[in-house]
Amino acid sequence: MQNAKDTFYITLRTRLATVNPSRTMTLRAVTRPGILVQEAEAPMPQPLLDAFALSWTGLETDLQLSAILAQMTCEIQYSTAGTQTNAGLDRGRALEEMDYEVLKLLYPYSAQKMNYTQNPAVPMETMVFWSEPEFGPIVTLRDRLTRAAKVIVFAYQEQGEQ
Amino acid sequence: MTTPAITPMPALPPTGRSVRAYFAPVDRVHGLPTLFDPSVNGRFAASTPPEPWIELGWIEDFARKSTSKFGELVTGSPGTTQFQIRETVDATVAFRFKAWSKLSMALAAGSQHMNLIVPAAGGTANGSGSKGVTPVNLATGSTATFLALAASDAAGFSAGSLVTVDVDYAAQTGYVGSGVFAAYVTSASAVNSDPDYIRRVSFNVARVASVSTTGTSTGLQLAQPLIAGVPTATMRVQPISGFVDREGGSFFQEWSALFLIDGEQGERILFHYPRLQSMAGAAESTSALVPPLERIALSASFRALPVTDAIDGEQVVCFRSFLPSPVTLV
Repeated sequence: MQNAKDTFYITLRTRLATVNPSRTMTLRAVTRPGILVQEAEAPMPQPLLDAFALSWTGLETDLQLSAILAQMTCEIQYSTAGTQTNAGLDRGRALEEMDYEVLKLLYPYSAQKMNYTQNPAVPMETMVFWSEPEFGPIVTLRDRLTRAAKVIVFAYQEQGEQ
Repeated sequence: MTTPAITPMPALPPTGRSVRAYFAPVDRVHGLPTLFDPSVNGRFAASTPPEPWIELGWIEDFARKSTSKFGELVTGSPGTTQFQIRETVDATVAFRFKAWSKLSMALAAGSQHMNLIVPAAGGTANGSGSKGVTPVNLATGSTATFLALAASDAAGFSAGSLVTVDVDYAAQTGYVGSGVFAAYVTSASAVNSDPDYIRRVSFNVARVASVSTTGTSTGLQLAQPLIAGVPTATMRVQPISGFVDREGGSFFQEWSALFLIDGEQGERILFHYPRLQSMAGAAESTSALVPPLERIALSASFRALPVTDAIDGEQVVCFRSFLPSPVTLV
């Protein structure tokens, strides 16, 4: 299942670099596309602004198939306080922009599963595919607007895969 | 010697998770089904059924129905039923295949199931595929999982492609198809004397794992064994792109079937239908994963046909076996 999670993240990261090249973040002294996996970063007291944070929550499996079908829940959380230039008054617009980017990052709703533990990454046999996003309500905390979009990611376990 | 005594439980209700399906070919020419003997093979490993049974995985919505009719002999006044008679013996079984494959699709469709042969250039469009590319001959040294071809012929295939392997149609009539009787030909004119006809309906198909065009052994390594086993020298190979079935057609698929439910306490329930014929056309049903994603299953329904039980000569259509849990009284 880790290959599926890696594939999903890298796919979204690659797409983000095209959809909005200016959405970047600097984390651990490296500037990169503004998307991260929470479980692969140091704990943060509060989420990074203007970046997408993936967290893996639910897991279900269908064992009554010739290959196990894993069904993993990924929550994409993102927050913004708008821009300083506009004194944060554009935070609604900034969140709408991120909503639209989520839609664009997720489409098409599938990707070739890759094994990123090898360098270069090795294509696997099956496709990872996912649902359309289910957007949660906006949560307001002082000057921040936050939203989470839930996506169900599906992947078949391949032979020899851990 | 005295063995340790067991402390049995009373009989318990079987609790199973789902049903697994296995199918085996019927020799249509001689009317010989594949018989499953539960006294010999009842405890087979679920993922490795005995030859020639083919596992088709978990199925869902499994429903058996006896449609046998009973009559009564009433005498006296007022009339009182004195005897019962079995007027007809009939049974049906229906379920859904979760996975699509050549075999599950053919079983669910019921009639001839065709391979979509890669078309030759300039062919006339046709619903079940147009005239195919020229087949290639097999060289010596083929096995059920390796097709020996001349290097130049092998170069025409690629890893991951699909192939059909069977003999040319040469005016045969009756049942055709290697390994499995895939269709019934009434006359050569009925199939337009198409030399590819048998390869078009054949179950002898496989996916190519790798292609070898150099060295002493050139050909196609298959990712799965051919259902007909080692190919004969007269068989030829054509690439296919997929499968097609039709609503209609005159042929009835007939297969031997075995359904297995493994209980949680080690008990096992087996349903063996020596002869099942499809009794419905192609249909699908869906179940939602996360809307709008949905899984598409093949709906299948069959009528059971009779065989004669060698023990007592009775005509029966189904055998239900129960292998009790090792811990319960019987």
